[in-house]
Amino acid sequence: MNSIEEKLWNYLDGTCSPEEHEEISRLITTDQTYQQKYQELLAFNQELESMELDAPPMAFTYNVMEAIRTEEASKPLKASIDHRIIKAIAAFFIGTIAILLMIALTGNHAENVHATVQIPVKVQLPTLTGYFSSPILKGFLFFDVVLALFLFDGYLRKKHTVVL
Amino acid sequence: MQSKFSDIELIEQTLQGNQAAYADLVKRHQRFVFTLAMRFTKTREDAEEVAQDSFIKAYRSLQSFQGQSKFSTWLYSIVYTTAMTFLRKRRLDTSSIDDANNHLQLENQSGGFKNDLAENKSRSYYVNQAIEQLMPDDAMIITLFYKGEQSLEEIAVTLGLEPNNVKVKLFRARQRLKEKLERNLKHEVSELI
Repeated sequence: MNSIEEKLWNYLDGTCSPEEHEEISRLITTDQTYQQKYQELLAFNQELESMELDAPPMAFTYNVMEAIRTEEASKPLKASIDHRIIKAIAAFFIGTIAILLMIALTGNHAENVHATVQIPVKVQLPTLTGYFSSPILKGFLFFDVVLALFLFDGYLRKKHTVVL
Repeated sequence: MQSKFSDIELIEQTLQGNQAAYADLVKRHQRFVFTLAMRFTKTREDAEEVAQDSFIKAYRSLQSFQGQSKFSTWLYSIVYTTAMTFLRKRRLDTSSIDDANNHLQLENQSGGFKNDLAENKSRSYYVNQAIEQLMPDDAMIITLFYKGEQSLEEIAVTLGLEPNNVKVKLFRARQRLKEKLERNLKHEVSELI
């Protein structure tokens, strides 16, 4: 600490140690220079404490909230989509593809299962075996695999960018 | 009417999608944020722009508020960076017409000064006038310390400085303010005589 003023400001702000506080208190009561300066700084400090804040315009809060509402409304749809919905759709498709794959790979068993089902009304069920072995299914599965690889590639790229 | 909820409760409500809660936060802090903006911009129009931008930025990054410091400390640091960016941009945009503007402002100030002489002005008026003449950093530190209920440590967080550095800056800012206040009052007395 250097000047009297600096010591007194620390005293007024309460940023000095208990020993320093005690010493300055003593000096204020015994030393005329300290006492005079202390009164001067105390008055100045009180003036600063009583200074007034500027008031913003009446419509300030309304303007802020309007700006926020406008910003929210102009957000791209991509940013406001709930990620849980996307995950649920993804889970549905993955499940469907997995089931289709299982049925396709175990084609014979599927036929057996189909045979045990009792249908009271005379309903002609389509024979799925033809579809599973057909090029349409193969094409569909191929498309799914390509799509999955494409999405996985996109995911890895995004992850890599975030890490960087 | 001020909300009965604390800042943290209002933030939680805002994050759950209640925009009215954020409006309450704005109402609670707008006077101080506006005053801080005034310390930098010196005009009400610009201060309004800075204060509004600060609240919008705070809303956008509300999720990143960890609650480790007071909301006000976090908000004031946003005001500080927004105001600094505004000043930098303003300096670049209007450096050529700055001198002319300053000249006009000084003329207006002195004109207003004489006109107000007849009025019995409070000490608070002179303090505010002297603060307006300070550099933005000095004015901000004094305002944060006296009106923002901020400790030296919190001011250090807001300004990105060390607490000891803030202590020194506060001491110097008060010295400069005192000098300006004395000069203004002396000038006022001589005008009256």
